[in-house]
Amino acid sequence: MQTQRRSAGLARRIATALVWCVVAADLLLILWIALTSLRGSSDILHQAFGLPAPPRVGNYLTALRDGGFGQAALNSVLVAVVSSLAAVAIAAPCAYALSRRRSRVSSMLTMTFAMGLGVPGQVLVVPLFVGLAKVNLTDSHLGLILVYIGLAMPFTVFMLTGFFAGIPSVLEEAAVLDGAGPVRTFVQVVLPVARGGLITAFLLQFISGWNETLFALVLTHSQDQITLPVALAEFVATEQINGMDYGTMFAGVCIILAPMIALFSWMGTRIIQGMTVGIGK
Amino acid sequence: MAATLLDKPRPAPARAPRRHRGGAGSPLIRQQRRMFWPFTAPALLVYAVMFLAPVGYAVWTSLYKWDGMGDMQWRGLHNYQVLLQDPSFRTSLVNTLKLMFVGGTVTFVISFALTLVLREMKARLFARSVLFFPCLVNGMVFGIAAGFLFSPTGPVNQALHFLGVTTPPKWLSTDNLLPMVLGTLIWTATGYYTSIIMAAVDQIPAYLYEAAELDGANAWQRFRHVTLPCAWDVISVCAVLWTVSSVKIFELILLFGGTSSAYPPVSSWNTALYVYAEAFPQATVPRLGMATAAAVSSLLMVTVVTLVLRRLMRRDPIEY
Amino acid sequence: MPRTSLSTPTRIVGAAAATALVLGLSACGSSGTGASGDAKAGGSFTYWSMWRAEEPQAQVLKAAIADFTTATGIKVDVNWAGRDISKKIGPSIAANQAPDLWDQANDAIFGSVASAGQALDLSPVLGLQIPGENVPVSQVIPGKYFDMLPKDPGGSNHYVIPYEVATTGLYYNAADPDLAAAMPAAPADWAALLKVCDTLKAKSKPCFASEGEDPWTNGLYFDYLLNGAGVDVSKLANDKSSAGWDDPAVLAAAQKVEQLVKGGYLIPGYDATKYPAQETNWAGGKAAFLMNGSWVTAEVAKQIPAGWKFGSMLPPGTKSPDATLFGFSIPKKAKHAEAAEKFIAFFLQKKELAGISTTAGNITPREDIPAPAELADAQKALAGATVRLPFDGVAGNWSPKVLDQHFLDLWHGKSTAAQFVAKCKADQVTYWQTQG
Repeated sequence: MQTQRRSAGLARRIATALVWCVVAADLLLILWIALTSLRGSSDILHQAFGLPAPPRVGNYLTALRDGGFGQAALNSVLVAVVSSLAAVAIAAPCAYALSRRRSRVSSMLTMTFAMGLGVPGQVLVVPLFVGLAKVNLTDSHLGLILVYIGLAMPFTVFMLTGFFAGIPSVLEEAAVLDGAGPVRTFVQVVLPVARGGLITAFLLQFISGWNETLFALVLTHSQDQITLPVALAEFVATEQINGMDYGTMFAGVCIILAPMIALFSWMGTRIIQGMTVGIGK
Repeated sequence: MAATLLDKPRPAPARAPRRHRGGAGSPLIRQQRRMFWPFTAPALLVYAVMFLAPVGYAVWTSLYKWDGMGDMQWRGLHNYQVLLQDPSFRTSLVNTLKLMFVGGTVTFVISFALTLVLREMKARLFARSVLFFPCLVNGMVFGIAAGFLFSPTGPVNQALHFLGVTTPPKWLSTDNLLPMVLGTLIWTATGYYTSIIMAAVDQIPAYLYEAAELDGANAWQRFRHVTLPCAWDVISVCAVLWTVSSVKIFELILLFGGTSSAYPPVSSWNTALYVYAEAFPQATVPRLGMATAAAVSSLLMVTVVTLVLRRLMRRDPIEY
Repeated sequence: MPRTSLSTPTRIVGAAAATALVLGLSACGSSGTGASGDAKAGGSFTYWSMWRAEEPQAQVLKAAIADFTTATGIKVDVNWAGRDISKKIGPSIAANQAPDLWDQANDAIFGSVASAGQALDLSPVLGLQIPGENVPVSQVIPGKYFDMLPKDPGGSNHYVIPYEVATTGLYYNAADPDLAAAMPAAPADWAALLKVCDTLKAKSKPCFASEGEDPWTNGLYFDYLLNGAGVDVSKLANDKSSAGWDDPAVLAAAQKVEQLVKGGYLIPGYDATKYPAQETNWAGGKAAFLMNGSWVTAEVAKQIPAGWKFGSMLPPGTKSPDATLFGFSIPKKAKHAEAAEKFIAFFLQKKELAGISTTAGNITPREDIPAPAELADAQKALAGATVRLPFDGVAGNWSPKVLDQHFLDLWHGKSTAAQFVAKCKADQVTYWQTQG
C-alpha cells in the first residue's frame, strides 16, 4: 500500500512536470511568433529561432498598409461584431420563447435548430456561394455578415435556450401581473437577468467570426472586403511569383492573434465557461 | 442528432424554477403562447434561408453535373457512384475518419489524464487557461509556424538533438503531413476538452470520493467507478461534438501543406478539402455536382457516426 | 536601421497616394464637363487583377491605368484581388457579375473560363494599333505563344493576350567558382549533366536544390525528360486506355529521375522541409541548381548575397522550352469589352510594358523589350521557333489525382521507376472512369 502510494506520487510528479512543459511550449510558441514578427525576412529564413536585432517595428507598418492587414482588420472587426450582435439579437427572443413554451411544436423547433450543429460548413459553402452571387452579395460585407448570422443560429439558439431555461420565471409572472406585454417583459425583466449569458454568446460568436476562414475565402476577394484570415492566406499565396516578406507575414499573424490574446486574458474564465459549461449542462 | 443533448434530464439548479406555479390558463402562460411565433419567427427565417435551404440546395445540386456557369445536367445518383470510385475521395474519406477516430481517442485519453493531473496541481487555472488558448487560434497559424519549427535545423530538432536524438523524423515530409495535422489537432483540442471534462468532474460531489476512499478504492478504481460514470453524460456529448468538429477541419490542412492557391497533396486531404478543391479548382472548370455530393456524403457520415455513438454510449442517467 | 525599413513603405505609400491623386484628378477631368470635346471619350470598365495592390506588377499596371485614363478619358475600376481570382471568376460570370477585364496565367484562364466557352475571342485586339507605335498588336506578340494554347469550344486560341511570359529551367549562380569550374559549357546531354554533378559532389556540393513537397517544380525534370524523348505529356494523360505509359521512353525518363534521387544528387534533407526552405538554401549557395520558373529570380531577389549572377539553362536534350503566359482575358458577358480591349493594346506599348521588366523583374512577350539581366538566358531560350506549355498543357485534376502523389514517392526514393509507371497507369484508368 505504502509503496503503491509512493509510486503513484512519483507518477503524478512526472505528469505534473509534463503538463508544465506543454504549458511552457504553448507560451514559447506565442512568444516566438511575437518576436519573429519584429525580424527581417532573410534573418527568419536563415535562422528560425532568434532575437530581433534590432526590433523592426516597420514590419507592422508594412503589414498594416502595404500588406492590406490594416483594412482587413477593420473588415474583420466590422463583420465579426455586427454578425455576432445580430445573431444574439435574433437568437435571444427565439431561445427565450422556446425555453418557455413546452409544446410539441416548440420541442420540434428546438430539435431542428440543434440538428444544425451537426452540419459541417462544407455542405453550405457551394449553395451559399451560388445563392449570394445570384443576389449580388458576394464580395460584400453584408453577404458575409448574413452568412455568419445564419451559421451562428444553431449554436446560439441552442446555448441560449439552455441558459433561459435555467432562469426562474417568478419575475416574469410578477411583470405579467403588473400588466407588462411580452416585449416589455422580455426586454425589461428577462434580458437584464440574462445579461451574462448574452455576453458569453456574443463573445463566442465573435471569436468564431474572427477566425472563420472557409466562407471568407470563398465569398470575398477584394482588398476592401476581405477579412484577416483571407488577407493572410492571400499574402502567403504571393510568396509564389514575387517572394514574400516573412517578417511582415508574422506581423499579420500577430494582428490576427492579438485580439484573441487580449480577450482571453481579459475574460478567459467567461470564455472557457461559455464554451464548456453550456456543453456539460 | 445533437438534439438528443436536450432530452436528457438537466441537473436541477440550486434555485429550482417553479415553472408550473400558475395553471394552464395563467396570464403568463397565455402571454407565452401569444409571443411564441413573433419571437421565434426572425431566427427561424434566418435559419431557414441561410442554413436549411442551402442544405436542401446542396442535396439537389449533388444530383446534377454543373460547372456553375452553363446548364445543369441531370445525373441522379451517378455523382455518388463516381465518388466511391475516385481514389482521392476515398483517401479524403479515410483521412477524415482517421482524424475523427484516432484523433478523438488520443484527445480523450490525454484530456482525462490531464484532468486527473490538473485537479491536484498548483496554479491549475492558469495552466488550464494556457492549454485552452490554442483552440482560439486560427488553424493557418499552425500551418505557417510548423514550416519553421519543424525544419531539419529548426528549434524542435535542436531541442531533440540536445536530448540526444540524432536522427529525428522528417517532420515535414509529405508522408508525415497527415500525422502532423493530427498532432496539431490533438494539441489544440485537448485543452478544450480537458476544460469541459474538468467542469463536469468538478460537479461530482466530494462525498462520493470520500466514500470510495473509505471503501479502500485506489486512484484507478475511484476514476473507474466514480469519475467515469458521473461524467459519462458529458463525455458522450463531447464525443458527438468531436465528431462534428473533426469533419469541419479545413484551414489547418490548407496551409499545412499548401497555400490558398496551391493545394496540399491529396494524401493529406479530408472531405472538406475535397469539396473545396472540386468547387474552387485552380485551373479547371468547377464540378459543383461532385463537390456537393461529397459534402452531402460527409453530412451523412456525421449523422451515422453520431447516431451510432449515441447508441453505444447510452447509459442510465446517474442520480446524485 | 529601423529608419531605412520605415522609409521604403513610406515611399511606396507616397507613390500610391500620388497615383490615387492622379487617378482622382483625371477622373474629375473626364467626368466633369467632357473637356476633351470628344463625345465618345470617357466611360469606364472594371478590371479584376491577379495581383495584390502592393506587388510590383500592380505598380506597373497602376501607372499604365493612370496614363490610359489621361489619354482616353476612360476610367478603370480596378479590384486588386490576388491569385484566387480564377476561382471566383466562373461563378461571377454565371451570376452576370463578370468584370470587363481580368488577368491570370493562361492555364487558369483556359481552365476556369475559356474551356467553358465563356471567354471572348480577342482576335480583334491583335488587329488594334498600338498607341504611338503604328504597328498592330499581332506584330509585337509572337504568334508562337498562341499556337501552343489549347483551343476553346469556339475554336479560338486568342482568349488571352499576354503581357508577361515565364519559362522554367535550371537556375544557377554563374559567378559560383565551383560551378564555373565544373561546367565550362552547358552540358550537351544527360550524362554530361550528371558529370557536372559528380564534379560538384567531389567538392561536397549538392547538385540540385529541391522543395521536396512540391510535385510541380520537381515534376519538371520528368516533363523535360519526356519532351527530350518526344513524349507529349498531354497525350499521355488524355489517353483513356493509359497505354502510353507502356512506352519504353516513359520508363526511361522515369529511370533518369530515379537516377537523380538514388545517385544522391539532390540536396540532403530536401524531403523534410517546407517551401521556401530549400530555395533559401539554394540562394545561400548550398546547392548549384534549382529547377523553377523564371519568377524565381524575383522570389529570391532580397536574399541573394552580393556578387551573385543569375544564369539559367534548359535540361540537356530538351526539344523546346515551356512558356506560361500571364495575360488579359475578357469574359463574353463583359459589358464594356471595347474599352477593355483598348486598354490591352494600350498596355502593350513599349513605354508601359517595359515596367514588367524593369519594375517587376520579369520577361515580357515583346522581344524588343530586354528582359532584366538575371533573366537574359531565359529570354534567349524563349526566342526559339517553338514553345510549349509546361507538362504540355495537361489540364484538369489529372496532375493532383494521377501524377503528383506517385511522382513524389519516386522523388523521395520510396518507389522505383517501374513501380511509378505502373501506379500512374493504374490510377489513370480510374481517373478517366470518374471523369465526364
